[in-house]
Amino acid sequence: MTHQTHAFHMVNPSPWPLTGAFSALLLTSGLVMWFHYNSATLLSLGLLANTLTMYQWWRDVIREGTYQGHHTPIVQKGLRYGMILFIVSEVFFFAGFFWAFYHSSLVPTHDLGGCWPPTGITPLNPLEVPLLNTSVLLASGVSITWAHHSLMEGKRNNMNQALLITILLGVYFTILQASEYFETSFSISDGIYGSTFFMATGFHGLHVIIGSTFLIICLLRQLNFHFTSKHHFGFEAAAWYWHFVDVVWLFLYVSIYWWGS
Amino acid sequence: MKKREEGVQKIREGELIVPGSWVSTEDKSSRNELILPSLFPEVHLLVSGERASRLLRGVSALAAQALRARGPHGAVATHSMASGGGVPTDEEQATGLEREIMIAAEKGLDPYNMLPPKAASGTKEDPNLVPSITNKRIVGCICEEDNCTVIWFWLHKGETQRCPSRGTHYKLVPHQLAH
Repeated sequence: MTHQTHAFHMVNPSPWPLTGAFSALLLTSGLVMWFHYNSATLLSLGLLANTLTMYQWWRDVIREGTYQGHHTPIVQKGLRYGMILFIVSEVFFFAGFFWAFYHSSLVPTHDLGGCWPPTGITPLNPLEVPLLNTSVLLASGVSITWAHHSLMEGKRNNMNQALLITILLGVYFTILQASEYFETSFSISDGIYGSTFFMATGFHGLHVIIGSTFLIICLLRQLNFHFTSKHHFGFEAAAWYWHFVDVVWLFLYVSIYWWGS
Repeated sequence: MKKREEGVQKIREGELIVPGSWVSTEDKSSRNELILPSLFPEVHLLVSGERASRLLRGVSALAAQALRARGPHGAVATHSMASGGGVPTDEEQATGLEREIMIAAEKGLDPYNMLPPKAASGTKEDPNLVPSITNKRIVGCICEEDNCTVIWFWLHKGETQRCPSRGTHYKLVPHQLAH
């Protein structure tokens, strides 16, 4: 079939890295224009270009792997390394926000009243919606594991159901968290408490949305029979990402919602 | 199964464009063509008459293989899958290089050198045979197990050469690529 004597994938030339780079330029300059000059044109263009790039690039990866069989065991290994390294980089990303939180909350300055939560801040009750959110994400971790085992055992119906449940739980979390955002008596501009709270939980919420999107793609692929009982790395990558999102929430809950209240 | 089958078929027929859509194995120059993927399926490279016939040959060969590999399909219900639960197996669905490797591995073969080569005794009578698609190949000799220093040297076609460090014998075995 091929002229090569190795099992690696020599990817054919593709325009998506270039369009992705352009979209990054448009996004960054677009943010500047939006923040400072009240113009959303560049940003909208950037978001469009970025979305199109992601859609087409990953669509091509699926074509190369599932339809053309380029994802040999060694190629799959590389993809695994890639996903793990990416998640590690995300861990460091969140570590920054946790660092900021602990820096400010362990030694609260006198302008906050020397206490945490700062004077005048009424934090959310950790035993109300935040606790529900915790149980929702933990349950979604269970359901995604159920989905994985069903897939490996060849049980299509179970897999479809479990994956759907996982997605629904993810959406439920997002809705709950969004409603909580409206319930807070403080905003992002309310001192260092507001900043650390919304930066950390905000980026987490974004990652939940990204993870849910990834899972929805997996569901669509599963419905189209892309995954086999042995070879389903796209699903495994989504599952790893989802577990990562869950773990970050647990840290957020314990640090910011519970200890920080 | 149907959707994926359609996808596979469309790629082979050139309807669904993937960067560098695979056209034909026999035509080396076709691999230098850049088929730009596009949002609009109408935009794709025109296939010349000569290449078209090669394309047809390649496609029909693949289609035959696909049909042999897939087994009966066409039923909409999931329980037509060979595996009871409805999830396809690699045996049913793997394709391309992945399938080739899978089938070879089942026979105990390693045509794509995924595993490290097995060392022969390395004597003059039983040299390590080093396959090559040209007349020379670089060899890295790990003289003893767990040695950190690898002895690198060019192995040329012709007489058996010896590793400069410990004298293990190597012989180049030139061969044409099977395809």
